[in-house]
Amino acid sequence: MKIPAHRRHTLANGTRLILLPRHEVPLIAFEAVMRGGARLDSPSRAGLAAVSAALLTRGAAGRDAHAFAEAVEGAGGSLEADAHSEAIALHGQFLARDRELMLELLSDGLQRPRFEASELDIVCTRRIEFIKAAKDSEPQSLIGLYGRALLFADHPFGKPVGGSESSLACLTRADVLGFYRDHIGADRLTLVFAGDFDPDWMLEAVTAAFGSWGVARELLSPLSAPPRVQGRNVLLIDAPDSTQTYFWIGNTGVARSYPQRAALEITNTAFGGSFGSMLMQALRVKSGLTYSVSSNFRRGTVPADFAINSFTRAESTGEALDLALNTLSTLKREGAGERSLASARNYILGQYPLGFETAADWASALAELDLYELPESYIDEFAHSLHSVDAAASQRVVENAYPDAADVEIVLIGDAARIRADAARLGPVREKSLAAPDFYAPAA
Amino acid sequence: MDMEDPRPGGEFAGACANVSSLKLANGLNVLVWSDHNIPNIALYNIVRVGSRNEGAGTSGLAHFFEHMMFNGTTRRAAGEFDRLMEAQGVSNNAYTSQDVTVYQDWLPRAALEMVLELESDRIANLAFDPEVIENERKVVYSERRLRVEDSNAALLEEQVQASAFIAHPYRIPTIGWPADIQSWTLADLQRFYRTYYAPNNCTLLLVGDVEAEEAFALAQKYFEPIPARESAPPVLTLEPVQRGERRLVLERAGLNPLLQYAYHAIAAADTREPALNILQTILLGGDASRLHRALVEERALAVAIGGGWPEGFDPNIFSIHATLPEGGDLDALESALDGELARVLRDGVTELELRRAKNLIAAEFWRGVSTIDGKARLLGEYAVMHGDHRLLFAAPGLYEQVSRAQVEQVAREVFNPERRTVGVLRPLSEAA
Repeated sequence: MKIPAHRRHTLANGTRLILLPRHEVPLIAFEAVMRGGARLDSPSRAGLAAVSAALLTRGAAGRDAHAFAEAVEGAGGSLEADAHSEAIALHGQFLARDRELMLELLSDGLQRPRFEASELDIVCTRRIEFIKAAKDSEPQSLIGLYGRALLFADHPFGKPVGGSESSLACLTRADVLGFYRDHIGADRLTLVFAGDFDPDWMLEAVTAAFGSWGVARELLSPLSAPPRVQGRNVLLIDAPDSTQTYFWIGNTGVARSYPQRAALEITNTAFGGSFGSMLMQALRVKSGLTYSVSSNFRRGTVPADFAINSFTRAESTGEALDLALNTLSTLKREGAGERSLASARNYILGQYPLGFETAADWASALAELDLYELPESYIDEFAHSLHSVDAAASQRVVENAYPDAADVEIVLIGDAARIRADAARLGPVREKSLAAPDFYAPAA
Repeated sequence: MDMEDPRPGGEFAGACANVSSLKLANGLNVLVWSDHNIPNIALYNIVRVGSRNEGAGTSGLAHFFEHMMFNGTTRRAAGEFDRLMEAQGVSNNAYTSQDVTVYQDWLPRAALEMVLELESDRIANLAFDPEVIENERKVVYSERRLRVEDSNAALLEEQVQASAFIAHPYRIPTIGWPADIQSWTLADLQRFYRTYYAPNNCTLLLVGDVEAEEAFALAQKYFEPIPARESAPPVLTLEPVQRGERRLVLERAGLNPLLQYAYHAIAAADTREPALNILQTILLGGDASRLHRALVEERALAVAIGGGWPEGFDPNIFSIHATLPEGGDLDALESALDGELARVLRDGVTELELRRAKNLIAAEFWRGVSTIDGKARLLGEYAVMHGDHRLLFAAPGLYEQVSRAQVEQVAREVFNPERRTVGVLRPLSEAA
């Protein structure tokens, strides 16, 4: 799998442009990535970047929120804005015939947002209600927020990207205008277009639309690497009447630039990234304790979290947690085994092309390379690098990327009255109610 | 804005030439759509059995069976199936709906023969190990707890579905009622397998980096030796016309009130299908849709509103479901929603709304056919639910021809208050 032919340009104001034409279907996909993102939020303003991003598409230039949505959907297009720890991104697709409209909306959203107070109120209110609704109907979707708050504490990765009920309630229009002034501008922007267009036309049109945009007021500060934790802490989130316990076991993992990436991906596929993985075999296939279990590394410019995620019925909480931790210990002690590693390599190789099928896939992949300053060989040489991974390489990854089972933070969401004793066996426990309006761990 | 449709039905219709079909001697229907963009193939095996084929005591059996299909054959131990697939770079999954059970594999082309051999093995030789069955029963119960019992939204939906139908098996939750999950026997499973897992009850789709001749030859090699079985018993029950609105109220711990309307609608193959999908998009598709704009943006009575209808063999329900803010007023939302639906029946829809819906659906088609998986999904829907895969290629043209009058007609037929079920979930605060 090689990156198809594409062009790169940098406008005088610093905006980077990547153009990858493909003509199979009459669609153009785009990614507009604004470096910075939620890591810039102050702790009491968690969610500011995400809310600012959402507001970019809720009224801009001559269109109010409704007219903006009508313009996008009237053309059968899509244009979504969101944030993650290190960037704000606008992404979507339009039919090729609507390319001028697409550029107009993208450029209005980024350069001429209205930031109306009434829209800010709508966005924050709705996000608060979505968090509450998730507590009622899918508590597992929140567990990583508690986990990262516990693990990263004061580091920027500890804040909930989308905000909490309490932080969202405090956001003001002045906060949003300040964030926009300081952290959104031409020098932070990379635009990627992939699909059915003429690159000469696109370069000219983008230059006309973005060439005179000014820069963000602040320079982007470097991000420090969060430390790994030692020992164990348990955060028990009390969800009375929950029929099962959701659990998250984590520690700080590795960065995007981690040099042994191929070995890491193979090892993690074998440990918790496939149906045949060690975790899935132990917790589902052999014991029936859960429907699903996985392990995952979130990798940023600096290391983010490694976590094991699963759930089980309340009565089997202790058994499932012991088994997950024991499986981690087995990995640390014995590695994943030659046969599993070979299988994982083939699995990744076989599935790899499916991630690079559409113009939208390529737009997203090129935007990711740009954001994390990764070379093109990150994609072009990946398949080749998988072949050089042997058991010894995997063992080195097990040693330096995975935590010891004794050094993990653990979050449980469940009925505290039923699982408190199980939690106490794992380490010192702090408790918090699922109803509490933020995700922070109470002081130890 | 340019209102011309640049996506001629003709261009899409031309793609039909890339699809080949073959019916094997045992009745297995095989469809191949060649696409060489990436060196991979998406395989779907669609079995015509779902919770629609269940009854009292056997609810959830089709879904449980989907799990059992990964648990070994008389030739291969439990776990071998996944182990062999992953070692050759193949991922797989499966899902069960009210109408069908779908087995999916995503493979590098070199694994094609092995995958077809494995797929045919589990259709011909499934094993029934009592210990494996008991383990899988626990896994399925865990899935039920995850999807339904810890979810207010899913619990309400399950209750509304069960109340909207009194005769037709669409009342049965696909995951199964708890007592049934606990009580199926090995004999139930074996009977189910013999009845429904027959080549003549399956449609096999291969989309991607493969030529039809090669795919057909391999399908013949591995599937044709499996004997056809007697046709599965048809589902003959038709839901009697509903006489009067039904209502149910759940009180559960939680924060957000929920509201769901369920109207009796139509089957997938109904000629009104494009009109109903356009109506759905006008009302609920995106931030500019009518109900989202009126109830979420303008009046802020709900924080989210969505809905749709499962396109099945038999007429199913068209649902509208809304999440209210904490402390939200259910009566006010109901009355505003009723007002909006009445306005559709009274004043119809606008030309602009119709155009927006058609453009959104057209773009969705193009996004769908830009991946081998999307192609397989769409082709399967038309082959099985509509009865002929070629209808997929006619669909964009049919959508383009739908008129406002047709949309308004289907709205009048579906949004009949006498034929609806209203479900409400009132949260009980922890202190109560």
